[in-house]
Amino acid sequence: MLITQLKDKETIASVLRGKVFLINCHGCKEVRFPVAEAETLRKELAEDGRLAGVITTDYICNVENLTKRLEKHAAEIAEAETILVLSCGVGVQTVADMFADKRVCAGCDTLPMPGFQGVTPLEYDCAQCGECYLNLTGGICPITACSKSLVNGQCGGSKNGKCEVDPDMDCGWERIYRRLEMLGRLDLVRCPTQIRNYATDLEVSK
Amino acid sequence: MASAPLPRAVPCEDSESQFIKEGEKLENYTKYRLKGIDELAQVLEGKDNLFVIACNKCFKEFECVDETDCEDFLNIAAELGKSITTSIKFDFLCNKTQTLRKLDELNVIPEGTENVVVISCGLGVQTMADAVKLPVIAAANSLNYTGHHGMALTKKACDACAQCYLNLTGGICPIVDCSKSLVNGQCGGAKNGKCEVSPDKDCAWEKINQRLAAQGRLAEFKAQPVQLRDYSKINFKVINDYVQSIREARFDGYYGGIHPAERKEFAEGFALARFPEPDEVVILMGQHIGAPANPVVKVGDYVKVGQLIGEAPSFISAPVHASVSGTVTAVEPRLHPIQGVPAMAVVIKNDHLDALDESVRPHGDLDSLSAEDIINIVRDAGIIGMGGAGFPTYVKLKPGKPIDAVLINACECEPLLTADHRVLLEQADEVIFGLQAILKAVDAPKGYIVIEDNKPDAIELMTAKTEGMENIEVVTARTKYPQGAEKMLIKRVLGRKVPSGGLPADVGAVVSNVSTAKAVCDAICKGMPLIERVVTVTGERIANPGNFIVKVGTSVKELIDFCGGLTGDDVTVKLGGPMMGFAQADLNVPIMKSSNGVIAFDTDHTVPVACIKCGRCVDVCPMELAPLYFQKYVDDGDVEGLKKKSIMDCMECGCCEYICSSKIPLVSKIKAGKKAVKEAK
Repeated sequence: MLITQLKDKETIASVLRGKVFLINCHGCKEVRFPVAEAETLRKELAEDGRLAGVITTDYICNVENLTKRLEKHAAEIAEAETILVLSCGVGVQTVADMFADKRVCAGCDTLPMPGFQGVTPLEYDCAQCGECYLNLTGGICPITACSKSLVNGQCGGSKNGKCEVDPDMDCGWERIYRRLEMLGRLDLVRCPTQIRNYATDLEVSK
Repeated sequence: MASAPLPRAVPCEDSESQFIKEGEKLENYTKYRLKGIDELAQVLEGKDNLFVIACNKCFKEFECVDETDCEDFLNIAAELGKSITTSIKFDFLCNKTQTLRKLDELNVIPEGTENVVVISCGLGVQTMADAVKLPVIAAANSLNYTGHHGMALTKKACDACAQCYLNLTGGICPIVDCSKSLVNGQCGGAKNGKCEVSPDKDCAWEKINQRLAAQGRLAEFKAQPVQLRDYSKINFKVINDYVQSIREARFDGYYGGIHPAERKEFAEGFALARFPEPDEVVILMGQHIGAPANPVVKVGDYVKVGQLIGEAPSFISAPVHASVSGTVTAVEPRLHPIQGVPAMAVVIKNDHLDALDESVRPHGDLDSLSAEDIINIVRDAGIIGMGGAGFPTYVKLKPGKPIDAVLINACECEPLLTADHRVLLEQADEVIFGLQAILKAVDAPKGYIVIEDNKPDAIELMTAKTEGMENIEVVTARTKYPQGAEKMLIKRVLGRKVPSGGLPADVGAVVSNVSTAKAVCDAICKGMPLIERVVTVTGERIANPGNFIVKVGTSVKELIDFCGGLTGDDVTVKLGGPMMGFAQADLNVPIMKSSNGVIAFDTDHTVPVACIKCGRCVDVCPMELAPLYFQKYVDDGDVEGLKKKSIMDCMECGCCEYICSSKIPLVSKIKAGKKAVKEAK
C-alpha cells in the first residue's frame, strides 16, 4: 500500500513496444492512484491503435486472483508486445514474474508512505528497524523523525529547532528532548550508546 | 473494544498455510514480536503500575482471534514482580481515529497508572505516545523484513524509491533484490550466481541479465544511459502533507467510506425517455420493507391505471396499484428479484388504452392540506423509499418525535447510476414540491437537498430553483461512498450521530430519496399513486445505456432488450447499483418501486482467500465496525462473537467487500451472520 504516480509521458512512450496490454491496479486507490492520468493514457493508446486490451482490477499482488482475472484476456495479452502495469512496484514484479517471457513495463513510480501497510494513511512512520528505540525517546522514532536516523542524540546541525537537511522539518532529537523533558525522563538520554544493527530479518528475526 | 479476553476460536499456532511458500515464514509478515524477558527486565527496571495495551496484530492469516502476546507479557511482568493496573487489546492500534475514540469512550486508563506499556509495532507505540501524557514503553520490536509488500501476502518487495527501475530490468527490482541496490549492473562480486554479501541469495543482476537475454532485450539495456539514483525524489515533507490531506478527505463528514470508480459517463448524458408501454406487467405485492400487500383483484378483472390491486395489511406495509390498464391474467407467485424466490404478484395484460382509474384525482394545493392529509395521501399512494431500501414513506412521516430537518438524499453515491441525477435535472420543481410537502407533514422548519459534487449542473439548477425559499438549503457534499446512507448523510449534513440500533427520527431527522419526493408530488398534484419510476439501464455490457421512466412491473429483460441487449457473454446483471444491488440469474423479473437501476458488467470470477488482517475493512467501514470478525465468526458459528462486534449495526453498504484484499464476500457473510443472530433470539 503505497503512493503511486504516473511516470512522465516521454518515459512511458520510450519503453513501449508494439501493442500494449494495460493493467490498472485500483487495490490501494483509496491512498493514491493516478486515475485520471491513467485514463488519458488509455485513451491515447486506443486512439493510436496500440491498445491490445485493458483490465482495471485490484490487488494484482495477489497472484492467484490475478491469474484468474487475466484468463479472459489471454488473446489480448498474446497480441500485445508490452504489458504496461500501473501499480506499485510489487504489482509490476508480480506481473513480470507471471509473464517472464514478455516485456512487462512499469508505468508508475512508487513513493513511500508513512504508516506502511497497516491501517493507513498515518502521519507516523516505522522503518521496521527491528530494534525499537521508542523506549529511549519518549515515543518519537529517531529512525524516521530524524533525517539522519541518528540514535544517540542530536547531530548539532539543527537551527531554531529545524533540521539542517530539510529546513521544513522539525529536528527529531529536539522533539524527543522536549517530550522527555515533559515526561520528566531526561535521564533516558544518558543511556548507553546505541548501536544500530543493520542485519535484515533473515539474520535477526528468526 | 476488547477489554475482556475474547473467546478463543481456534488454537493459535503457526499452521501451514497456502500463503507460506517453501522457505518462508508467515510470521515475517506481521509487524512485531514481544521483546524477550531479559530485554523487558531492563526496559521495565524501576517502573511499575503498568497499563498494558496490545495491538491484535495485522498482516497474518486470521486464524486466531486472541493473540497471546498480551498474556505472555502479563506472565513476564508477574515474574518480574510488576503490578498491572489493567490490560486491554485493540485492533489496529495505528488506526488513530478509532484508537483515540476508544480510549476516550472506554476511559480505560485507571487511576494510579504510572507507565503505559504498548505491545505493537512502532506505529502503535507512536500513536499511543502521542495520545497519552504518561511515559510509554514499547514492549515489542517491529519485525524487519526486506522492503514493502503489497496487500496480498507475497514475498515481492518494493522499496518505494520513487523512480521505478523495473522497465530497465525486466521486472526484477535492483533496489530490493540486489544487496547493494546497484542500478547499473553487477558489482562483479557474485560467485556462481550467488551474492557476495549473502551467499544464500541469488545475484539480482544475474537474474536480470538472464531475463533480459531470454526476452532479447540485452542490446536495449546496454543502450541505456547510466542511471543515477536520485534520493531527493522522496520529499518527506511533500509526502506527509499529502498523507495528511488524504486523511482529511477520508474523514470528511464521517469516518471511512470509499471512492469506487464512478462510471457514470455511460448514462448520465441521456435525458429521461419514456419506456414503451409493456404488453404485460408483473406487479409484486411485496416491494417494500414490511408485510406484503394482499391482492384485492382476481384473474379476469379489468383494472385501470392507478387502481388499487393490493391492500396493506398492517402498519409497516404499503398498498400496490396497477401501472397499466387491462385484464388481470394471473394472481400467483412470481420470481422476486430481491428475495430470489417466487412471491405473490398480480399479472396484468396491458390493453394499451391507458384508462385512468376514477380514484386518480388531484388533491389540491399544499395550503389546503393538513399534515395528516399529506400523510394519508402518501400512505394511500403506496409510496416507499425509492433509493433502494423500500421503507414505507408514510411511516417515516409519523415519527412520534419532533423533527427539525428533512434531508432529500440526492447523492446517488452508487457508481453507474444516474437516475436521481436526471430526476434532479428534469423534475426539479416536483422534487422541491415533494420536499415542501414532507416538511409540512412532519412540521419541520428546514429542508436540505444534499447533492454530491460530481453533479455540478444539478447543484446549480437546484440552487437557482430554491432561491428565495428560506426553509430549503442545497448542500454540496464531497463525493464519497456511502454518502447516501441515511446515517452518513445525517452525520455529514447535521453533524449528528444516529445511535446504534436507532432511527433518523431519534436525532430529529427524516431522510427521503429524491425520487420519493417526486412521487409525493405526483400523489398530491395528480393523485397518481406510485406506479412508475426512473430507472438507469447502464454498465459496460449494455449496448445502449439510458435513463427511462418505467412502469412498475415491467420486465428487466424487456428493458435490457430495448437497450440493445447485453454485449458479450459472462455478464452479471444487477438490479440496483454495483455496491448494494442484487444480482439476477434470471432476467424475467419485474422492476419494482425501489429499483433505481439495471446494470450489466463483467462477471468477476475471483476466488476468495483467507483473511490476512490487513485492516482495510476497518479503515473504510463507515459504521466504525470491524468486518473481518464477521466473516471469522460466521465461519466459526460464533453468534455471541457476532453480537459483541455489533453485526446488527452493519448496513451492508459493501465498502468492506470492495476493499477486501482477500476478496472475501463479506456482505453475504454478514447477511448470513445477521440471520444467525436473529434466529438465536
